Amino acid sequence: MSNIPLIEMRDISIAFGGIKAVDHASVDLYPGEVVGLLGHNGAGKSTLIKVLSGAYKRDAGQIFIDGKEVAINNPRDAKALGIETIYQTLALADNVDAAANLYLGRELRTPFGTLDDVAMEAATRKVMHRLNPNFRRFKEPVIKLSGGQRQSVAIARAIHFNARILIMDEPTAALGPQETAQVGELIKQLKSEGIGIFLISHDLHDVFDLADRLTVMKNGKVVGSARTSDVDHDGVLGMIIAGKCPPGAIPGPGALQSAA
Amino acid sequence: MTRKFLTLAAGALMLGMSSMSALAAGKTIAVSWKTFQEERWKTDEAAIKAVVEAAGNTYVSTDAQGSAQKQAADIEGLISQKVDVIMVVAFDSDAILPSFKAASDAGVKMLSYDVLVEDPNALYVTFDNVGVGRIIAQEIQKVKPEGNYAFIKGDKGDPNATFLFQGMMEVLKEALDSGKVKNVCETFTDGWKPDNAQKNMEQCLTSTGNKVDAVLAENDGMASGVVAALEAQGMVGIPVGGQDGDLAAINRVALGTQTVSVWKNARELGKVAAEAANAIADGTDPTKIAGVGKFSGGAKGVEVNAILLAPTPITKANVSAAIDAGHITKDQACAGVAAGAVPGC
Amino acid sequence: MSKQQNSSANPALTDDGPIRRFLNATEIDTRMIGMIVALFAIWCAFDIASGILRGNFGGLLGGSFLTPRNLWTLLNQTASIAVMTTGMVLIIVMRQIDLSVGSMLSLVAVAGGVLQVYQLGPSLGVGHPAIWVLAIIAILALGTAIGAFNGYLTAYAQIPSFIVTLGGLIAYSGVAFLLAKGETVAPMDKTFKVLGGTIPASWIGPFWTWTLSFAACALIVFAIVNGRRQRVRFKFPLRPVWAEVTLAALGSIAVLGAAAVVNSYAWPPKLAENYAKENNITIPPGVEDKAGDAICMAGDAVVRCLEGLTLGTGYAAPVLIAFAIGAIMSFIATRTRFGRYVYAVGGNPEAANLAGINTRWLTVKVFALMGFLVGVSAIISSARLDAATNALGALNELYVIAAAVIGGTSLAGGVGTIYGAILGALLMQSIQSGMGLLNLPAAFQNIVVGTVLVIAVWLDQIYRRNVK
Repeated sequence: MSNIPLIEMRDISIAFGGIKAVDHASVDLYPGEVVGLLGHNGAGKSTLIKVLSGAYKRDAGQIFIDGKEVAINNPRDAKALGIETIYQTLALADNVDAAANLYLGRELRTPFGTLDDVAMEAATRKVMHRLNPNFRRFKEPVIKLSGGQRQSVAIARAIHFNARILIMDEPTAALGPQETAQVGELIKQLKSEGIGIFLISHDLHDVFDLADRLTVMKNGKVVGSARTSDVDHDGVLGMIIAGKCPPGAIPGPGALQSAA
Repeated sequence: MTRKFLTLAAGALMLGMSSMSALAAGKTIAVSWKTFQEERWKTDEAAIKAVVEAAGNTYVSTDAQGSAQKQAADIEGLISQKVDVIMVVAFDSDAILPSFKAASDAGVKMLSYDVLVEDPNALYVTFDNVGVGRIIAQEIQKVKPEGNYAFIKGDKGDPNATFLFQGMMEVLKEALDSGKVKNVCETFTDGWKPDNAQKNMEQCLTSTGNKVDAVLAENDGMASGVVAALEAQGMVGIPVGGQDGDLAAINRVALGTQTVSVWKNARELGKVAAEAANAIADGTDPTKIAGVGKFSGGAKGVEVNAILLAPTPITKANVSAAIDAGHITKDQACAGVAAGAVPGC
Repeated sequence: MSKQQNSSANPALTDDGPIRRFLNATEIDTRMIGMIVALFAIWCAFDIASGILRGNFGGLLGGSFLTPRNLWTLLNQTASIAVMTTGMVLIIVMRQIDLSVGSMLSLVAVAGGVLQVYQLGPSLGVGHPAIWVLAIIAILALGTAIGAFNGYLTAYAQIPSFIVTLGGLIAYSGVAFLLAKGETVAPMDKTFKVLGGTIPASWIGPFWTWTLSFAACALIVFAIVNGRRQRVRFKFPLRPVWAEVTLAALGSIAVLGAAAVVNSYAWPPKLAENYAKENNITIPPGVEDKAGDAICMAGDAVVRCLEGLTLGTGYAAPVLIAFAIGAIMSFIATRTRFGRYVYAVGGNPEAANLAGINTRWLTVKVFALMGFLVGVSAIISSARLDAATNALGALNELYVIAAAVIGGTSLAGGVGTIYGAILGALLMQSIQSGMGLLNLPAAFQNIVVGTVLVIAVWLDQIYRRNVK
């Protein structure tokens, strides 16, 4: 692993109506690495990640890619930088088909400037075949698809455009055990291609299985970070619940001060 | 100057009121308009305002914006302002009755202007609407005594639509009974809208195979729709009647595409009503005002005191009358008409 | 090949009867078939009823509804609402509403009228060729600007469009009133009137009607062939050849049938007579027959007869405009990025935002497009009436919204088609015109149209539940 992080978010803060959702949080991610982001609902992990994907505009802080500062003011900027996101809600337009969702915001067009639906469908068939070989319902609006199929569409959208950084917000929440295992395989495969992945999850097992490092947030602040090999489940639970850093973790600004 | 003007204005008032003219000053006369969405009301207002202020009284007004509820609230507001007389152009002549009663109870004198409100205590000032219908029918019958007549009536919710039709029927009854005139189409027109009238006329022509010899529209806006429908069938020039003295209609009369527009000179009506209001404000008994008679032609047959003015038919022969009265400029009336082809142009 | 077809079809539907197989193979919108059947049923009912109540005027079933003349008039009467409803579909699909279209129509029509009659007429001279050009530009520009203003308030000031356009509904008609001082502004410029469809100059005649219709057929065939070629190129499942041929045939029959109907409506005899005299066309001799549409000479008089000189009207300008707008709007809705975004926003506004779509600017554009279409309708309706009044567009918003909804646009957003809405407009106008032929009062028309609206939405709900 190189010494320059693929992505570094430094001192990010964002407030909504006076409430600090994210407070001076810093995280980083190296190529080919999976970093798990943990914390309760409302701990600020989804908000932090939405700053990275351009959905929210930060109030303060800097974002570096390959060591260079970048400006991310909207989702378009983030995508241009190779940052793709699979949202917890999937963020699919329910009334249009898989291809339209896959290419939403970056449609292929014919030389006449019209939508090239056929080319988009062809590419969609290809990428969907990789994720879900049995999928056939290309002409139907995605609202008619099953939860797993919808998830495949959202994942397909994230990996289809040569992402360098992938953000997965609870990617397995809607899936059964078999599909969850499939996602796990996919993550490992993407990792081997050198893609950096932020994995937001409630499920400690998932994180320990898939992530190289983890970062825990509480009340908008980073409690601490650790290699998954240096900590155990109980230690991480302590970070999530009490904000207490076990040995082996690097404490952040949100860690419980053990002074007294 | 003011005093001189006042005296002049007082002199113009009708006999029997002149002795009270000195007391006229300082009263407040209100008008509750139903809407300003129609061409004519601005003219009425200017005329009323001039006469009221010339008598040294104050003019106030409210606009109900085509809502019966708002008009009731307007009148309530005027009562609490303690105005002396309220002149009402009713949007809904039945719904407004309680407001009339409340005003009378509070000692405010009521006048219904143009639209009949069947309250025995209110003075009704209007053009003879049945008369308007009569005149339209008479003028059409003059040029086309026999044949198939189509009737494009106004909105079904407006009593004037029925009065106008009654007037037409009075004139045409004999010809209809003898079969000289046939009623081939008769439709109400939603909201008196010209484009609805155009569609109704198109359907009328289709359903009769163009066998229509004359059209009696109940106002000029609808007559414009009728003429457009006739034009599409190459039937422009068959007699078409309307009323209101719309500027575009007078132009059509000059051009020969409309036969008659019965013109209710709003200045005249406004003047007469305002004079009556001034008089009532001073305590004159309505029955003592010149021109007042009894009228009971409403839906409920309630007898009210009324001043009924006779309207003026504008035909090709007297387009100049409207020009001379300042109602329309010569340019507007004669646009597209060869000079000298029509008297006045 | 056949294996692919089976695998792409919904397995639950493979054992169905021939009708279901036909619908699956051709991928025709079954909802549209329902509407067309309803439309024909209404037409037939009115023809029979008008025959019984008002006498036979050559209708297919003995009345006056299914005559070329009435159908021709019906198309003209529908044009203005049809044009506006194509824009309303996109607005509603995007989960917005525009209640101000009627008042806006009054306003821009009156503005165009005032410009022609009071400003340009006196200054350039009545009939000057610049008048109609400037009037059209002004009307379209003003409509677009007002629409964009509605959109700006909705998107950037974040006032719900219901409120913005409710305010517009009330305010714009007031502006229209002040602008015209409440008067009926008339007459329109002679050339401008061509766009209204009431004068011979706006009828394109049989030659151009056939030419355009054959061009449209060629387009249909081209679209089907091209679509098939594309699918072959990417090795997608194909529709069976018989289904493609059937589609092309049905489309062409509809286009050519409509052309035949409008071409068989002959010029009204008086106009034909004037035209023949002006152009030194000899009117053949013949025998008078009042039922005929042709004209001929009986002695010195021109009379109606069965065989003689006829001039077919063909399509009138407003109908052509409506067809063109319908085609362009369908294209925009389905074939452009802009249209795709409108539907995506309607399906899930948050997802569209996260996909990097500038939903606010899109909202402004959609409302501006609506304003432009209101301008087009204002031109059609004021040219048709040969006058502009501040009551011209009153209540049009309700008809426009009702047409879109009857045509299958869902008020929940995300769902709706342009052709459906145009059919909806035609269906509503058919009811109104039909009742007009029966000489039924406007009150009945309102009752029926209102009832139809509710029933249409109810049937639509049942349809959607069953399709699922």
